[in-house]
Amino acid sequence: MSLLKAAWLIAAKDLRIEMRTKETVLTTSLFGVLVVVLASLSFYIDPITSRRVAPGVLWVAIAFSGVLAMGRAWAYERENDVMRALLLSPAPRAAIFAGKAIGSLVLMLAIEAILVPLVALFFQVDLTWALAPALLVIVLGTVGFVAVGTLFSVLTVRSRARDLMLSVLIFPLITPALLSSVVATRELLDGATLGETLGWLQILLAFDVLFVTAGAVLFEVLVAD
Amino acid sequence: MGERIERVVVRELVKLFGPTRALAGIDAELRAGEVTVIEGPNGSGKSTLLAVVARLARPTSGTVDYGSDRQDEPGLRAQIGVLSHAAMLYPDLSGVENLALFARLYAIETPRERIDDLVDRFAIGSYRARPCRTYSRGQLQRVALARALLHRPSLLLLDEPATGLDARGVADLEAALEAERAAGTVTALVTHDAELRDRVGDVCVRLHRGRVQEVSACPC
Repeated sequence: MSLLKAAWLIAAKDLRIEMRTKETVLTTSLFGVLVVVLASLSFYIDPITSRRVAPGVLWVAIAFSGVLAMGRAWAYERENDVMRALLLSPAPRAAIFAGKAIGSLVLMLAIEAILVPLVALFFQVDLTWALAPALLVIVLGTVGFVAVGTLFSVLTVRSRARDLMLSVLIFPLITPALLSSVVATRELLDGATLGETLGWLQILLAFDVLFVTAGAVLFEVLVAD
Repeated sequence: MGERIERVVVRELVKLFGPTRALAGIDAELRAGEVTVIEGPNGSGKSTLLAVVARLARPTSGTVDYGSDRQDEPGLRAQIGVLSHAAMLYPDLSGVENLALFARLYAIETPRERIDDLVDRFAIGSYRARPCRTYSRGQLQRVALARALLHRPSLLLLDEPATGLDARGVADLEAALEAERAAGTVTALVTHDAELRDRVGDVCVRLHRGRVQEVSACPC
């Protein structure tokens, strides 16, 4: 069983369950919508200020929704102790990490497809020119977030304080990616070109490579009893 | 995938959970074509022993020898079938979808035929397409048994396999164990059911406080 094939089987299984229940996308995107609405009520002053605030609100909404989504993604494995069945299978352990990460990435992108236009609407941001490069930043930022989230969510499978523990573990670690994503998005909305945000994109890319590699390597250690 | 396991030899196995000594130096041997019944009071280490032999838990000290130095880890895992207390099935997938997923993870060559065979053998057909969340305990146990046997393991580890099963389910379980014995499978079975032990067991290993108290032939 190749790593990619096993990873795809696990990701497809997660997406099939989500298509059937719609539990994760509905609940977490609703939470993200609430964050955006409350932030718009709290921080909207004028169109210029709101454009500066919008990237921060978007990424806070993504991060908060993301933590919930990651927790839900691992609840599939927790119920009936199915994680053990995955660990018993001959599938490479890195494939379990990759499969869960791919599944979570697709769910996160679906949630972001709701949050991005919502933030643009509530904060009066014209995305016409910045949409394509902003999407690149969003994808890069989300890959890093999902890699960290998947790596540490596995620790919560057997923890009773799993939701709190996940937040405590993820937020400090994703700070560099979150900060880079916020600044890059803000600069793009201010009219910067993709080339002018290259430094931030490089940080995001390095973060992604670091945590995807760390996840694939460390996952086996973290799941060992 | 992987070499068949012909015997499992456990030597001086110790497993600690913090200050608790779940296994305190177990020596045992499981052989091909034999059903070894592991029994003992609650907390005697039966389930921990199965978890260590299944490679789901690492021993604190001691060894588990599967009879081959050449076996790689995925190949070894492909030879082990486990039924534990939890069903290890996705509640939002149907029984057949669960079996199909694991058939693909185990790279079974003719998955549909194998699944149909197990569906018939454990009488899963009438509820095969319903999500597992809607199953009774006994129905869940039947699908869990099918999942444990799906990839034709040569080492079968069953923890209380009769839980929730009705008379027909227990008969199907016993028939499956007989077939595994005939196929030369190394089987370890944890049960508190003395009648089941006497009907299916060849060797009985009694544990007490993480140690082997007695090894005897079944019925004992």
